[in-house]
Amino acid sequence: MRRMSLVGFALVAGSSACAHTQSAEAGATPEQAAAELREHHRHHNQGGVTQFIAMSLDTLGAAEAKRPQIETIQSDLYACMTPAREVEKSLLTDLASGVAAGQIDEAGVDATIARLGPAAGAAHACAASSLNHLHALLSPIERAALVDKVQAHYEVWRQVNHEAEAGGQEKGGRLAELADELNLTPDQVSQMSNELRLKFAGPRTSVFEPKQAEAHLRAFETAFASETFDARLITANANGHLASHGARRMALFYETVTPILTPEQRTTLAAHLRQHADHQPVVAGQ
Amino acid sequence: MTRNLDKTLKGVLSAAALMVGLTSGSARAQFEVVIAPPADYLATTEPTYFEGHAAYWYGNRWYYRDGSAWRYYHDEPEYLREYRGRRAPHRYFYGRGREGFRRR
Repeated sequence: MRRMSLVGFALVAGSSACAHTQSAEAGATPEQAAAELREHHRHHNQGGVTQFIAMSLDTLGAAEAKRPQIETIQSDLYACMTPAREVEKSLLTDLASGVAAGQIDEAGVDATIARLGPAAGAAHACAASSLNHLHALLSPIERAALVDKVQAHYEVWRQVNHEAEAGGQEKGGRLAELADELNLTPDQVSQMSNELRLKFAGPRTSVFEPKQAEAHLRAFETAFASETFDARLITANANGHLASHGARRMALFYETVTPILTPEQRTTLAAHLRQHADHQPVVAGQ
Repeated sequence: MTRNLDKTLKGVLSAAALMVGLTSGSARAQFEVVIAPPADYLATTEPTYFEGHAAYWYGNRWYYRDGSAWRYYHDEPEYLREYRGRRAPHRYFYGRGREGFRRR
């Protein structure tokens, strides 16, 4: 828990220094990378902690000689999440169709999300062998770096899917980013903000249990940082809870804002959701 | 309400960490106030490995974890200075519509 608090400090205190960093890419800013990560965690919930681990391999920067094996392991982890990814694709496609039509089929969305949790949960056992290989492959400092990255992904996920206030209009928030994306009018933003506050206090909202997620994270982090590791012994599994909560929150957001959009805005948003539906993770190095 | 309390708690703890840094013994310790790079930075940036830990170039300093704490080098090590001269930190972009969500 102390690690979580320390990273939390950074979220509060570190943003000003961020402006001084340089990106490897001309025209791309650190803020852009952060915004894109937030958008990703708002829309892609396929495997909870297993997904955070797979994503952490994107930037682990391990020794060059290990990269082919790491890429194989990452590919295997994503293969474990394929059933959940298919369900997520269906959800995003249904949301896109509903947005385009001006009315989202809530019963259909609920049924799809009900399938997502078990599919994401199954990725945990499926990934055990790959995680054992990963532990054997990495040096202790690479393992420690991986643990930091998994924790960082969870911090961002938790911020956008749990801590962020529904209907909040803060910069970088879901509503503010939708406003930029669709050129919402101030009246639309205000109306959406009010509706989101009401809807997220209502019966269709999802309650996130951080303790469940953090028990899984702690179990993985403690075990993975040790000299000996067997992923099969990690019994905590919050993958399904993380995935279904993130998906529920996303669906409720779009259900709420859709009636307030113009036809042109709905068309644009539907296209964006279809792009998310078509997302296929790329293994590092490919 | 929970979120506000959480923010308040983090603010108090940040201030406490800063005071510990300012009142501790050596000048070097003053620059080892424990503030990690933001989570979104750690999650999207490739570190370099040096002196037994992953180091991140952030805010014009090299940060690294030391046990449960985060520290930074007050005096930039030569190896890291040269490394930084050769290449900027690799960032990973996850944006919708990017090819494979990857640009380096």
